Amino acid sequence: MNEQQPTLRLEGVTKRFGEFTAVDALSLTVSPGRIFGLLGPNGAGKTTTIRMIVGITRPDEGAVRLFGRPLTPELQNRIGYLPEERGLYKRMRVADQLKFFAELKGFTGRGAEEALDRWFEKVKLSDWKRKKASELSKGMQQKIQFIAAVLHDPDLLILDEPFSGLDPVNVELLKDLVLELKSAGKTIIFSTHQMEVAERICDDICLVNRSRKILSGSIREVKSGFGRNSVALRFEGGDGVLEDPALVASIKHHSDDLEALLAPGADAQELLRRLLAAGARVTRFELVEPSLHDIFIEKVGGDEKVEDAV
Amino acid sequence: MTKFRAVVKREYVQRVRSRMFVIVTVGAPLMFALFTVVPVLIAGIKAGGPTRVAVIDETGRMYSRVRDSLKDARAGRGDDDDDDGAPEATNGAMKQDSRGRMEQMAKATASNYEVEEAAAEGRGLAELKARLDERVARDELDAYLVVPADVLERGEVEYHARNLGDIYTRGQVQRAVVGAVRDARLDARGVSAEVMRAINQPVTLRATKAGGGAQEDRGQSFFLVFGVGFVIYLTILMYGQVVLGAVIEEKETRIAEILFSSIRPFTLMAGKLVGVSLVALTQFAIWGLAFFGLGAYFAARGASVAIPQVSLGVYAYVVLFFLMGYFIYATLYALVGSMVTTSQEGSQLAMPIILLLVVGFYLAFPVIRSPNSTFAFWVSLVPFFAPITMLIRIVAQEPPLWQIALSLGLGFGTVAVMLWLAGRVYRVGMLMYGKRATIPEMLKWVRQS
Repeated sequence: MNEQQPTLRLEGVTKRFGEFTAVDALSLTVSPGRIFGLLGPNGAGKTTTIRMIVGITRPDEGAVRLFGRPLTPELQNRIGYLPEERGLYKRMRVADQLKFFAELKGFTGRGAEEALDRWFEKVKLSDWKRKKASELSKGMQQKIQFIAAVLHDPDLLILDEPFSGLDPVNVELLKDLVLELKSAGKTIIFSTHQMEVAERICDDICLVNRSRKILSGSIREVKSGFGRNSVALRFEGGDGVLEDPALVASIKHHSDDLEALLAPGADAQELLRRLLAAGARVTRFELVEPSLHDIFIEKVGGDEKVEDAV
Repeated sequence: MTKFRAVVKREYVQRVRSRMFVIVTVGAPLMFALFTVVPVLIAGIKAGGPTRVAVIDETGRMYSRVRDSLKDARAGRGDDDDDDGAPEATNGAMKQDSRGRMEQMAKATASNYEVEEAAAEGRGLAELKARLDERVARDELDAYLVVPADVLERGEVEYHARNLGDIYTRGQVQRAVVGAVRDARLDARGVSAEVMRAINQPVTLRATKAGGGAQEDRGQSFFLVFGVGFVIYLTILMYGQVVLGAVIEEKETRIAEILFSSIRPFTLMAGKLVGVSLVALTQFAIWGLAFFGLGAYFAARGASVAIPQVSLGVYAYVVLFFLMGYFIYATLYALVGSMVTTSQEGSQLAMPIILLLVVGFYLAFPVIRSPNSTFAFWVSLVPFFAPITMLIRIVAQEPPLWQIALSLGLGFGTVAVMLWLAGRVYRVGMLMYGKRATIPEMLKWVRQS
């Protein structure tokens, strides 16, 4: 297979449910060996998009191409999917059901047994193999579900809100496993509305809202496209300077410093000069990159307000 | 295909290994026995001591005969010397038969009588009756009889009892009185006691199937026909519910989402239906082998067990019609399961299905009585009823082959249509969370490509 070929390509994909358009002419490209964040608020169309990628539903328009080809059952076997809404057979032993899920992906025999043992060890649940799912805690079940997605060694792994409801220790554990898969050359699509998590592990992102793509690209591109117009500040004195609307658009107060979002066209140097001129004692002055969170709020939150006003 | 096999295997292995399967396999025959025998035993139990009966004898001669006849009823030859005049209506083989068994049971359990004569001692009939009514009210007496002076001519005896609902006692009293009066009539015409005994010799009806050799039928044919119908009805109901539960489980737990990313919905549904059907067939096989094994065991020990004479072809038909009925109903259950969100909703929405099945089961009774009637013919062609009704016709009195073939053809045609329909609903319904789907929504899913 050509290394340059994208793992996944959506071309103008549209999905409607009656009057409602869940995904509207969405195009995106996921490159091999990258972690791709599919971001957006609840109800933006993420899950519908994912369902079309894994072949649960078909797009009304447009095409989904996996590894350069249209989706077939054989290609489905090369995808691993951890849905947001997920479950296990309560009365079935966890090892048995994992083997069943792998079998549905065409992965059976000795290899499956060995992979199963390996993964149980990795998530530290080896002692629970023969237990029924109902005997496991919720966090444990979630790790079992994660195994269900990766057991058959898929080339493309799709994780829909994989960390929700996990304690920090297990979040770290799963995050390390995801990064390990990435370094093994797997492609990972990661869907979430938790921007902090996405920021830490994604290489590329696509932000969707109200069925449409808002922006996409590598994290670096997205951030630089947004401009460095935020300043982290700590100072004493200089009263009134930050109240000038021509200079500062908004202020966020943190515990011991604050973050000022500059007004459009305003210059950070000008802000510093004004503060000093006003006699302020500045102990911190730092241009900050906008976080994904900020971008998200700006793009999605703003849009929300406009729409609501209409 | 391997995916289909994986689903079948999971359904089969998980269920056969489950404790529930063992319980049902062992328990169902026991339950069947329990439900047929125990109600009879319970119904036959005469709670609270002997029945106290007083007799007002206006003839002055009948009391001793009535008393002896009543005491005899307990000894169990009460109805040998009398054919049926009991108050119950006797329609349908089922009733006749179960009534017979119930009476035997009732006799087996002690229901004895304490009989006393209410002497007139110069009082009038009205006063006497009032006094006895009082004693019944005070619970010193359960019932009393008034034997009028002209009983031999008019043939009427009054029976006053606290509880007219106790039909066993009533029947026994009736037979005792009939016997006493008849003996008295014969006596009055100068028939000797010896002749009377000769006349009263019981007559037994020995039933064999026409053209079926000398094998006597003591009700086992009815039991076979009825039993087969009942087993089919029960297993379809039971395994339909299993399918319903299985579908709802995958929807409720959202496993469907994972499954649908690996396998086509129709393949999954079909695999489920086939897997569960294999569980049912396994159960049948165990029951069949146990039945034969026990039969052979008893036969070897020389016991005369009434193993019904059935040709092997019938067993093949049982399997065929079971599968047909199972797939029709289980597919309906799968459809319902994919429309609802919880198992409570599921059992509500499944009510009409059960109703349909129950109708089929009750149609069995007229079909048993006249398996070759036009009614039976039509009813055994309707796919939803055929698994029970046609099977009963086959066991009772085998209909022409073309009728069986037609019934099977229609049935399996319906299975194909149902599968198609359910498959289309299932594929959408399984991913719809939150609320129960309405019928119009369901129809829309069917039309969607």
